[in-house]
Amino acid sequence: MSLSGPIAAIATVTLRALLGRRRTLLMLLVAGAPVLLGLIVRADGPRPRALVPALEGLIITTVLPLIALIFGTAALGSELDDGTAVHILTKPIPRWTIIVPKLLVAAALTALLVVPSTLLAGILIGGTGSHELGVTFAFCIAALAGSFVYSAIFIALSSATSRGLVIGLAYSLIWEGVLAGALPGTQLFSVREYLRGIVSVIGPHGTLTSIVGGQGILLAAVAFVVITILASLRLERFEIRGAE
Amino acid sequence: MTDLIDPPGPAGLTTGATGTAGLVPGTAGEPAPIAVAPPPIATAAPAVSAPIVLDRVSRWYGNVVAVNDISFSLGAGITGLLGPNGAGKTTILHLLAGLLRPSAGRVLIGGTPAWRNPAVYRDLGLVPEREAVHAFLTGRQFVDLAARLQGLPDPAAATARAIATVDLESAADRAVGTYSKGMRQRAKIAAALVHDPSILLLDEPFNGMDPRQRLHMMDLLRSMAAAGRTILFSSHILEEVERLADGILVIYAGRLAAAGDFREIRRLMTDRPHTFVVRSSDDRRLAAAFMVEPAVFGSELRDDRLTIRVTEFSGFTRIVARVARDAGVSLFEVAPTDDSLESVFEYLVSRR
Repeated sequence: MSLSGPIAAIATVTLRALLGRRRTLLMLLVAGAPVLLGLIVRADGPRPRALVPALEGLIITTVLPLIALIFGTAALGSELDDGTAVHILTKPIPRWTIIVPKLLVAAALTALLVVPSTLLAGILIGGTGSHELGVTFAFCIAALAGSFVYSAIFIALSSATSRGLVIGLAYSLIWEGVLAGALPGTQLFSVREYLRGIVSVIGPHGTLTSIVGGQGILLAAVAFVVITILASLRLERFEIRGAE
Repeated sequence: MTDLIDPPGPAGLTTGATGTAGLVPGTAGEPAPIAVAPPPIATAAPAVSAPIVLDRVSRWYGNVVAVNDISFSLGAGITGLLGPNGAGKTTILHLLAGLLRPSAGRVLIGGTPAWRNPAVYRDLGLVPEREAVHAFLTGRQFVDLAARLQGLPDPAAATARAIATVDLESAADRAVGTYSKGMRQRAKIAAALVHDPSILLLDEPFNGMDPRQRLHMMDLLRSMAAAGRTILFSSHILEEVERLADGILVIYAGRLAAAGDFREIRRLMTDRPHTFVVRSSDDRRLAAAFMVEPAVFGSELRDDRLTIRVTEFSGFTRIVARVARDAGVSLFEVAPTDDSLESVFEYLVSRR
């Protein structure tokens, strides 16, 4: 049996479920915030020195995880919670063929919003000097990679618990925001640190210093694959929620 | 209650050893020594090869036991899973559909475990009770999705066939979100049988259907059963089960309270203590007259309402007219009050 049929079918339904409704509008607003801020800053001319903190603080630590969280948990978690997923689960297909298309759709939508937002905000704030463009480009690549890793994490969380949204938010705020900065070694389990590593390697010299450095690319790739496999294994053991 | 349709065929149901129909014995550990009207598989050992097998299955959530040591195997035919809300019917269907892990025991579909085994869905269709479907899909797209996920060679043709089967053609190209409850139900059934499974599980399938749709669906399920399929549907409505099922499993509080031929279970259900409300020309005198009857063990007159408690349904109905005539009282109305399924199930379980 060809698996391309089921994968395409699930991807299509997931895409239609994620688009529409108020969610898309809300996410557009979130993605538009850095651009809006860039426009405000821009009124006084470019501020190259604000570029790195702005992109790191706005995109990598806020807008990217937030949008990935919303799309990632909605792609799978909301279907598992409201019972819609039963119609997909009761089919003779391996569980990874459910996880993968949902993950790819959530990640692609996240990237589609976050990468242009990064690009526009970067150009508005940093201007079009070659150094500044290099920094902005590095953050775009990091945002692209981050869309996939974060979406994988939030899809995996929603396959494991009906509180994926809350736990995802806690991961992003508490773990990545507070602990992973304070305790040495914990950075190895922080997506934010991987992305900083990617920026430090791709961007012009001295853009950022990161503990993981160039390994960030490898760590992000490994995290993506491992988390996707874990999510598939978890879905195999999925027990229907909201039973009697 | 009297438009009783003769069961069309053998009850597709075994619950252990052969014997006469009856109640499952009280001790939880004992295998259930009952079987029913001519079962397709009549063996003391669990018929592992039967399409549907529950072998000493329990399921608990923390400290709450939802399903308590239930064993049965089902063959071709229609079996009704009867019980009040919260009895464990949905849990049993979810266990069978591989959506819940049994805490103890084995759940087998076509001889293979249902849990963590998506291959069983090739030959199994589930119609869940929850209405949730992707509201933005049309009915046709929804059924087509099921056909594609089943990997059918010609999904469009299978979809058209399934939609015709449930009589949904006129609404097939409207968004499911605009459907009535009954239409949504039929769309779910179409999706569940698009791959022509030999086992069909339906959770409260007639909820929200109007009488005509209900009859149509019953005909459909009967013809599917006649073609050799194994169909298990849950219901909390006795009449639905009575009209459609060849065999009945009665579930109460997570236990298998009774299993077998519905006429036998029907008898057990009616020959139990009942309460009647009686209106007559002289309730007081009638109450006194009933007190001396052995079939009556209590009568109460309160707020101009005479309530009679009787030991046995049929015994009382035989004497009520005579007693009234002998007492010189005219009867206006004799109505059983205590006919809720809840009380029937409680009785069936307590009787053991």
